[in-house]
Order: sequence, then C-alpha cells, then structure tokens
Amino acid sequence: MKATIERATLLRCLSHVQSVVERRNTIPILSNVLIDAGEGALKVMATDLDLQVVENMAAASVDAPGAITVSAHLLFDIARKLPEGSQVSLEAAENRMTVKAGRSRFSLPTLPRDDFPVIVEGDLPTSFELPAKVLAELIDRTRFAISTEETRYYLNGIFLHVSEEDRPVLKAAATDGHRLARFTLPRPDGAEGMPDVIVPRKAVAELRKLLEEALDGNVQIDLSASKIRFTMGGEGGVVLTSKLIDGTFPDYSRVIPTGNDKLLKLDPKSFYEGVDRVATIATEKTRAVKMGLEADKVVLSVTSPDNGTAAEEVPAQYASEAFEIGFNANYLKDILGQIDSDTVELHLADAGAPTLIRQDDKSAALYVLMPMRV
Amino acid sequence: MSDYPAAEGEEESEGAEADASVTDAATSAEGTDASRKIIHIDMDAFFASVEQRDNPELRGKPVAVGGSAGRGVVAAASYEARKFGVRSAMPSVTARRLCPDLIFCKSRFDAYREASDIIRGIFRDHTPLVEPLSLDEAYLDVTADPRQLGSATRIAQAIRREIFAATGLTASAGVSYNKFLAKLASDENKPNGICVIRPGDGAAFVQSLPVRRFHGVGPKGAEKMARLGIETGADLAAKDMVWLRANFGSFADYLYEAARGIDLRPVRANRIRKSFGGERTFSEDISSPPELRETMDRIADIVWERIERNGAKGRTVTLKLKYNDFQIATRARSLPRNVIDKADFSQIGHSLLEEVMPLPMPIRLMGLTLSNLQGAPKGGRKERRDAEAQLTLF
Repeated sequence: MKATIERATLLRCLSHVQSVVERRNTIPILSNVLIDAGEGALKVMATDLDLQVVENMAAASVDAPGAITVSAHLLFDIARKLPEGSQVSLEAAENRMTVKAGRSRFSLPTLPRDDFPVIVEGDLPTSFELPAKVLAELIDRTRFAISTEETRYYLNGIFLHVSEEDRPVLKAAATDGHRLARFTLPRPDGAEGMPDVIVPRKAVAELRKLLEEALDGNVQIDLSASKIRFTMGGEGGVVLTSKLIDGTFPDYSRVIPTGNDKLLKLDPKSFYEGVDRVATIATEKTRAVKMGLEADKVVLSVTSPDNGTAAEEVPAQYASEAFEIGFNANYLKDILGQIDSDTVELHLADAGAPTLIRQDDKSAALYVLMPMRV
Repeated sequence: MSDYPAAEGEEESEGAEADASVTDAATSAEGTDASRKIIHIDMDAFFASVEQRDNPELRGKPVAVGGSAGRGVVAAASYEARKFGVRSAMPSVTARRLCPDLIFCKSRFDAYREASDIIRGIFRDHTPLVEPLSLDEAYLDVTADPRQLGSATRIAQAIRREIFAATGLTASAGVSYNKFLAKLASDENKPNGICVIRPGDGAAFVQSLPVRRFHGVGPKGAEKMARLGIETGADLAAKDMVWLRANFGSFADYLYEAARGIDLRPVRANRIRKSFGGERTFSEDISSPPELRETMDRIADIVWERIERNGAKGRTVTLKLKYNDFQIATRARSLPRNVIDKADFSQIGHSLLEEVMPLPMPIRLMGLTLSNLQGAPKGGRKERRDAEAQLTLF
C-alpha cells in the first residue's frame, strides 16, 4: 500500500474514528485503525467490536492499492503534530508502515488487515432518513438521562420505537430510573414495522460527534433487531455501525404521569440559575434542593449540616395549594438546560410522585423526574 | 431436585452469636466495676417451643425443627429431644439415630419472628438498652431501672412472666453485672429458670465451671486445655498472662478476664445488621451447570424473601461455595446502588456463579448474601443515604 494524503484530511478523519478505539485493549488489533487504499480514496476504519466507524477520505494519490492496520492513537498523535498544510505519505512494507511528511519520517509497527474484525451487519431491513439536525436534537434531549449502571444494561442506551397514536410517531426514550427523557417525532417513511431497539451509549456519543460536522444533510438509518447503521455525508462520508443492546427496555409509558393537577410555570433560565446558586452549599453528591411552592412563587432552599443554608425566591405562575418538594439539583439542571423557551411547565402531584416537565403541550421533548425526600 | 435441608443462615439459627456481623450505634455506659445490672434472656428451645405451642400434638414429645432428609441439620430441638442427646446444628441423620421417634418440623420463620417481635417489645418496655443476639436471646442493661422495680432480679422475673403471658413460651434469665456472667447464668437453671450472680460472686462462679462453658471455647479448645491440665475456670485463673499468651496467643486476653469474671463490653443497643444471607448444604455434592443454576434460583428466592421481609437494602452480593474438600470460595460484587429486586439479586448471583464455572470440583454447599446494607455505619454512608432519598421511577 502506498498513498499520499493531505494532513488536514487525515487528521479530521482520524479524529472521527480514533475515539471509537479504546485506550486499553487486551486484543492488540483493536488498538489499530484499518487503512485501505483504493482508487483515489482511502478508507479508514476503527472498531471496538460493538461499534465500528468507517470513513472515506479523498487521497491526493494512491500509488499502490492495499490495506494495513496501525495504532490509531499513534497515527492520530502524529497527524496532529505534523506541520499544517503538509502532504502525508503512507507506505506499508514488511510489517511496517512508513509515515512521511516534510522532513519527518516515522516507521510504525503494523498488523495484517485480515486480522481486523469487521462487524457483520447482516440484513438491515428497516431503512429511513432523518435530517441530521433532528437526529442531533433527539440525542441531545434524551442522552443525559441514559443510565450508567452496568447491571441494568438495558437502560444503557436510547430506546427507539415506533407507535401509532393520533398519528404514527417515532419515539426516543432514555432513563436511569430517577428521570426519564422522551422525544417524539413524526414517523419517517420507511420506519413502519421497525423493531424496538436500544442504541448503546457509546454509539450515541460517537454518532453525536459525527453529526456535528454534518448537520446540514440527512442521515440514512438502516437497522435490524440486532444492528443499526447510520450513514452521514452520502458517498465518501462516514458510516457508523453498532450492535444494539440485547435487552428489553421497561414499559416507560406507565411512569409518565397523566393526572398531575398542580401546574407551575416559570422562566427556565432564572429557575436554572436559582437552583444552581442554592445548590452551591449542598455537600452531598446528589445536591437535594427543596422547592417551596406558594402563590406565584417558588422558594428554593438548601440546608447543609456543614455549610449552612441558602434560599432564593423565583417568580412563577402557580395557583394550586402550597406544598414542598425536593429534587436532585443536577437532575433539574439537566432538564432545564434542554428547554429553549422562556417558560417551562412543571406538572406536579405531590412530594413523592413523578413530576412531568416540558416546554408546553406541543413540545417534542418530555421529561419525568422523580423527587427526593427532603 | 434434591431435598434442601432447612439450614438457615447462621444468623437465623437459634442461639447463634452474631457479633461478627453487627456493629453498634448506641451503647450503654462501659462499666469498669460491678455497678452495672445486666440481664441475659434466652428463650427455652425457642423454635421447637413455638412448634409445640402451635401444635398441641407435639407437646411432651421429642421435636426437632429443621430438615430431616439427606444432609439436613437440626435448627432447634425440644427438651424432650435433648434428653436423647439431640442438639442444634447436629446433622438430622445423627439426631434420628439418637432418637428414632424424633418428630421433624419444617421451620416457620414467620411464626418465630412474630414471637420474637413480641419479646423484644417486652424488653424495650423495661429498658432502651437492648442488644438482641438473635431471634430468641438478648442482653439488657437495666442499671437505670426505668420502671422502678427495685432490682434487676425483679425486672428479670417480670420479663419472664410477661413473655409467658404474651406468647405462652418460657424463657430463662441470667442476672449479673456483665454480659459474660449474665449469659453463663441464664444457662444455669434452664429451662424456665433464673440465676443471679451478685457482685463479688462472679469470679468464684466462673472458676467452678468447666472451661467448655466459656463462650469461644469449643470442643477443640477444650481438648487443648485438657492436654495442658486445664479443666475448670479455676485452673485457668491459676495461669498468668505470660503463660496464656504463649499457649493461646490473642485469645489470652479474653481467657484471662473471663477466668476472673471480668467483662467490660457494654450492652450495645441498636446493633445494626450488616448482612442477610442463606446457604444450602446439598444431599449430594453437585457440579453440573444446570443443577448449579437451579440451585442458585432456589437460594436467591429464599434469601430474597428474607431480605424483603426485613425491608433490607444493600449493595454487595456475595456468593459462597464450599467444595467437597471443604475449601470455601467466595465471590462478591458491589454495585454503585442498592440491589433492586429479586430478579436483579438473582441475576447478580448467577453472574457470580458463571464466573467460577466450570467448577474445579463438586460443591457441597452454596450460599448467597446481601451486605453493605443501607444505613450500616461505614464509609460512604452519607452517599447511600442520599441515594435512598432519591425516589425511583422503576
């Protein structure tokens, strides 16, 4: 294999794929990227066995087609440090790959391409497209609620499913058992009959990074019950393929309250800032903030055995009976940070029941937050 | 499926000391002299007596609670059975050989716990300083005599009367100025008796006893002492510290004080349970994966039932295996949160089991324990309390 490529192209491409590669690997080849030189283009691929990213990059020239694998992080670090605007030559020979640019020259160990594991996609019968912006919003609105507990592995991702309501919809949901985020959009053509799937957290994170550079286009999504593939940037773009979490997502609809009759409306920004300020003195990790709801105001307060007390009054629209409820400050802030509007609605029942939070009844995103005992 | 004898976790077994698995919160004043008044109450053949109370046909007959088949062990024996030499923790096979007419009853922990709750309520009517050792025995520090009954002996008698009136069961009481003596005393006039060891009489009482009666001296220890010419507390008291250290190492301090009737341990109220567990010894050693998995299911069911009954929450699950060469292996997993439900508990048990398979040799026992309990006073307690304050959707 011998090819020449612009340093900027190589760097951009490696930055996309290298984060898939785990820093520590027991299987040596998983530390490597596959570089496959074809006609006028190079294909770069990285995998962690559950997730793979393939990106095509335009080559300045391909002198000898062929494929080889080298350490992803080494090559990325080298590409980073090479002079801007330089042409990088990659040449594989005798278990080594030579990287040359300007007066620099590196000789890196390689492993054969045939040992590089490729995820077998199998048949992906469901196919639909989503604007990249919509997919990015779907992820942003839900991913913060993804659980990190390994034992309930089926919560370690975003759940996607279609459903027939007054209109056909595609829903995304994530929960860690304390809060739930749901994002609903009209069902895209081709998604009908789609199996319920759980997209793992790491795939979500990698996908979101890739979307950031392709926000203007569409994303092609192909999936089966066990695999999902996202194609961005069309020909010569990036393809992310991931295994899906093999588990059953809980029936989350039953925890979304429908009869909460106490409505609180306020400005999410001043609410967020108030919560953030009073939580400063909370010592516990969970940072419980007490909300005292009164006529047209909320009194936020924190009492810490070590750090004293804090209180702040936030103006609000509230006409139901006064009561107190506690929430994890970080959870509240996570949700409030997702509201792009000058009002947020909190639908409450009592201090021990799930609270529904949303921008308004038309918003695509909906949040459910369980209180804390305070 | 083989018949699993009802060898409940040791914490459940009658009369078992549970010091290893508890820590204390509140404690009574640590007495350095004989000014304290300590009562040890021990129910008489508790499990067996509950069975005899609830089933009149069993009264006056030799009764054992526990599994009768295979490797079952006796969890408790009635006094009629004890006459034949049947004892707690004895293999059921042996018990039946000693007493062919022995009637085996399946254990009914709900009934025992119900009676135990009543008894503990009576203790707490007399003093807040109650240290339960198991379902059927407890230490009480009655130095303060809140009900002004006048003497520890009167309090002990009142408690025994109240227990009988409320449960129909008899208890024995030991009254003295420390826990060690109170416990020895309660054993003195069993069943349905009381024994008082007054200040000044403790050393003489202890020295009259065979060393085997000392808590912590088992058959092996007694054998060793016999070889060294020690039969009674007096023999032990005649030895100095240097000699005891040389022969018994770290056990010497305890023996030195015990032989003089000294015990400064306070009565620790609000002892907090640190674990819930259970284990099963099999009729026959097992090694095949399907059998192991099925056993795990059964044990998880039983242990979880116990956890639920106590409303316990914990983060660490420990698998215990005893191989047929009696080597014990344990595997534990700690979660960042509490175990959620039976499915979760069972799943963790199974994954611990999968980690040790294939087994190097068949096992004779499997156990599963939940520990790192909520509220246990230990590092990270605050965070766990917080985690609990957070209510959950699922």
